[in-house]
Amino acid sequence: MEEILKLKDVNVTYSNKKKQVYAVRNATFSIYKGDSVGIVGESGSGKSTLAMALLRLHNEKSVRIEGTAEFEGKNLLALTQEEMNAIRWSGISVVFQKAMNALSPVHRISTQVEDIYHVHEPKAGKEEIEKRMVNLLKLVNLPERVYHLYPHEMSGGMLQRVAIAISLLHNPKLVIFDEATTALDVVTQGQILEEVVQMEKEMDMTRIMITHDMSVVAASCNKVAVMYAGEFMEIGYVKDIFKNPMHPYTQGLLASFPSLKGENAKLSAIPGFLPDLSKECDGCIFAPRCPKATKECRQRKPKQTETKDGRMVKCILYEGGMSNE
Amino acid sequence: MKRFVLRRVFTGILTIIIVFALNFVVIKMAPGDPITTLMGKENNSPELRAALEEKYGFDKPLPVQFANYLKTAVKGDLGTSIIYNRPVSDMIAEKVGATVLLGLVAAVLAALIGTVMGILAARHEGSAYDVIASGASYTFNSMPAFWLGLMLIILFSSLLGWFPSFGLSDTRAGYTGMAYIVDVLRHMFLPVLTLTLVLLPQYFRIAKSSVLQVMNEDFITTLRATGMSEKKIFNKYIFRNAILPTVTIFGISMAYLITGVTLIEIVFAWPGMGRLVMTAITQRDYPTLMGIYLIMSISVAVVMLIVDIVYAMLDPRIRYE
Repeated sequence: MEEILKLKDVNVTYSNKKKQVYAVRNATFSIYKGDSVGIVGESGSGKSTLAMALLRLHNEKSVRIEGTAEFEGKNLLALTQEEMNAIRWSGISVVFQKAMNALSPVHRISTQVEDIYHVHEPKAGKEEIEKRMVNLLKLVNLPERVYHLYPHEMSGGMLQRVAIAISLLHNPKLVIFDEATTALDVVTQGQILEEVVQMEKEMDMTRIMITHDMSVVAASCNKVAVMYAGEFMEIGYVKDIFKNPMHPYTQGLLASFPSLKGENAKLSAIPGFLPDLSKECDGCIFAPRCPKATKECRQRKPKQTETKDGRMVKCILYEGGMSNE
Repeated sequence: MKRFVLRRVFTGILTIIIVFALNFVVIKMAPGDPITTLMGKENNSPELRAALEEKYGFDKPLPVQFANYLKTAVKGDLGTSIIYNRPVSDMIAEKVGATVLLGLVAAVLAALIGTVMGILAARHEGSAYDVIASGASYTFNSMPAFWLGLMLIILFSSLLGWFPSFGLSDTRAGYTGMAYIVDVLRHMFLPVLTLTLVLLPQYFRIAKSSVLQVMNEDFITTLRATGMSEKKIFNKYIFRNAILPTVTIFGISMAYLITGVTLIEIVFAWPGMGRLVMTAITQRDYPTLMGIYLIMSISVAVVMLIVDIVYAMLDPRIRYE
């Protein structure tokens, strides 16, 4: 399978004179063509920080980014902003959480779409752009007339669909949905996820879905990457991980969501809070909250372990081929 | 849009009438009256007082006086000054030009310079320029305009002798053509500078904070993520969104200018409406005062109407609400 994005030891650190906050640590994994990867984790676990780092949208004076993120043979993290502009939207595009504010309130959708289209196709005519956008609007079940409206004339769900349609303008290889459906009601969210999955089948697209909602991952992704306090704990296929979570954090996370099969199991929350990310930590970052933590867990960092079903798990329990049974 | 404008015109007229009625009542409530001024200190004859009151219609009840005034005002007749015995409209017409010239030039200069300075400060936030400009803006904002005017007179007229300190032109020189225009410009310099310096800080601060706020909006992040150049994002998207509060401030500030340049006019002996207002107030010259207030409230209403229409053109969210 073709690797589309390859992360190696990516660290993102927010820093000012007084303090360093290690928001993302040692992110190492690959995304393959056609994948739809859900990155899940609690608020503050570094999901969006990672996305903003890959898109190079951080204020680079106050954020330090290390490691490599290879996309089409180029290291995204080492490009200049000008070189990055060539990749933006045609290579990687993004849909943000707050669709209500994702578009300029004083410009028509058509104006904004034309300007965005002209970034990579400066000679494109108005009719050509409208035709392209109307086709995309159809994919998200919106009528043609939406193209000529102002953002305030639409509902939140419509705006989110418009934002998704705009993200596909230049046929990007990779689309990042950063909490893109979080602000919507469950019915609209469900409809949009269905549309996205349908679109993917038709358009040969790879997707990263950043969310804190396990059900979004279950409904729309084939892989899941579980993030905790800036580190990836477990990455693998949704069907494997949901059925048989290996990492104690994943187990805790899944236990805190109601089961899809409607069993009346008791929900349990993971005790404790996210650790202080401004402090270095010698052992496993999850050890203070982990029910299975041993002395060793607090003394050294766990290594990434590959399992037979092709998943990655970062936990001392599984090092040296120990099974999860 | 047409309905919006019509509705605004209607509310504008309503505002003028209400403001006018309030003014009418407040002036009458103030102690003192023009009859006393006319009669002089030594004369106390009740017959003369009664005759004068009848002549000017002050013997009638207040609502009747008000109705009579409105009736003639609608015909364009603002009455005759009790003190100067001249038509009020003539007296205002002589002075209004100088006031509008001073106010308009200062307002436009302050809006343009303040906005540009504010945008630059926002784009280079934290730079030496930002620190100095923000500091200066606070300093001038907290300065009384008349005091600043006096200080500028001391500096530029008394000490340096660069600019004249009073009047609209040198009446003894009898300039014509180009020379006259240059002379007026030289006379305008100090009062315009004073007003501009006092008005500028609010434009500076509004522009700066508004640009900073819009730069952090999500749609700007989205546009950055599309690879659009910073220049295009700024010139089209940040600017259009950030300029909206400035338009509002411009409207309010115009209203202030039309009514508030009085002190500056007095400091610089500027032959505008300022002195007319002052004498009319001290002598309780009711017709002149009412005429001035009417002109002022009409100009404020017109400026606000224009600002509202411009705002509706800039911000599509306004039109339908």
